[in-house]
Amino acid sequence: MGNNKKKSIGALLLGKWDTKTIVGIAIGAALFGVLMDFGGIKVTTNTSLTSAYVVLPIVGALFGPLPAALTGLIGNTIADLIGGWGLWFDWSFGNAVAGFFIGLLPLYGAKIDDGVFGVKHAIIYAIVTVVGVALGFGVVTPVLTVLFYSSELTVTWIQAWAAVVSDASVAIVIGIPVLFALAKRNARKTGLSKED
Amino acid sequence: MDQRLFINLSPGGTYLDKLTGKTKVRLFFAIVILLIATWDMRIIFSALALSIIGLASLKAKLKSVKAIAVIVVLSNLLNLFLIWVIDPDYGASVCGGSTVLFQITSHYIITGQTMWYFLVRFCKLMATFFAAMTFIQCITPSELAAGLYAIKVPYKVCMIVSIAFRYIPDILRDFTNIKISMQARGMELDAKRTSLWQRLKQNVIILVPLVVTSFDRVGNIANAMDLRGFGKNKTRTYYAEHEDVKGDGQMKIFYIALYIFIAVVIALRIIAPGEYMVWYPFH
Repeated sequence: MGNNKKKSIGALLLGKWDTKTIVGIAIGAALFGVLMDFGGIKVTTNTSLTSAYVVLPIVGALFGPLPAALTGLIGNTIADLIGGWGLWFDWSFGNAVAGFFIGLLPLYGAKIDDGVFGVKHAIIYAIVTVVGVALGFGVVTPVLTVLFYSSELTVTWIQAWAAVVSDASVAIVIGIPVLFALAKRNARKTGLSKED
Repeated sequence: MDQRLFINLSPGGTYLDKLTGKTKVRLFFAIVILLIATWDMRIIFSALALSIIGLASLKAKLKSVKAIAVIVVLSNLLNLFLIWVIDPDYGASVCGGSTVLFQITSHYIITGQTMWYFLVRFCKLMATFFAAMTFIQCITPSELAAGLYAIKVPYKVCMIVSIAFRYIPDILRDFTNIKISMQARGMELDAKRTSLWQRLKQNVIILVPLVVTSFDRVGNIANAMDLRGFGKNKTRTYYAEHEDVKGDGQMKIFYIALYIFIAVVIALRIIAPGEYMVWYPFH
């Protein structure tokens, strides 16, 4: 793992598609789905203050933005299937966009795997998360809602902005401490310290 | 909560259970796409009837479906109520015209068109719900992967979906274990006795060990898959995908007809959209 070669941005965006990534996305999606349905408190219909949003930064930190996007997409579809909400692909794609932004962590140098996550990264993470969630639920979801379902937009707007606020706050308020904790844990796991 | 999930790991013995994963996935997508594409009550109602028949034919775990169905019905009704609160005359824009049935205030009116739209929308969502329940109860994770692979989804993505489904019962087991051990240490989890803030905090307390144990397993599962040669070849076959049975042939005719029908419905909506989105019979 510890190659110091600078990876191209394209490679960082795609993530490394080895078996570990695949399993990571799968487990992330399963967690996301279950937490979406059971680990939350209802805010409005179709949106809840859900702890599922903690999963995305973790997948993003470990595997990269595209895996995080897939986690959001598949995770939300699973949540819809097992929770019986009906299939809302507009929301799944909104989650995918939000996941992509949340998962951009490796791009600005936060390497949870090697225990690198500082205050600077936390601030960038918070900003990117807000932008990503707002773009996902504030733009992509309503547009797709009109395209797919031609549903009443006012309600979707209310739900979308409730989702933006609740998901972004979960991703930031719970996500940042979890990322710090994971980084610390991984830093310890290497067990090697530099000798002067 | 455990009752509320129906991830089957071995297929049952009914007609729908016996179909191949390929047929199940194609059939399910056909019904879902049809339900998204149309606002015609005649089509939606037939799809609703079909999905209820499908669910009934599985004869399994209907009790847990009932529990979810109550929640789904309530949340859909709430959704409709929200639409009504925002725009009581919403039906006018989608069905055309507004025949006032009751008048509560000058703004809050109940029109026949709005009610019809709500009924259509409700049936549409219930049909999707029943179709999803049927699908989930008759498919196993491996069959799902095989079915997705048959519609040309890259097999690595199929694998993600199938592992995710396979892993859900494990997460629930872990979740229950963590919850019980937290309760044993004196944590109050009863929703009635704790405040919202307390519950949020407890959610986080349960969440951390759950997330950590789950992601700790990634390495093990990945190694096991690597040792079995996962990802070495460009294509793959599925053990869960058996030879076509008689039902597959019958269903193939059905879903091909359905896809043609969907194409016609969508084409009609694009080429010759009616004046209003929803077909309204009582003009």
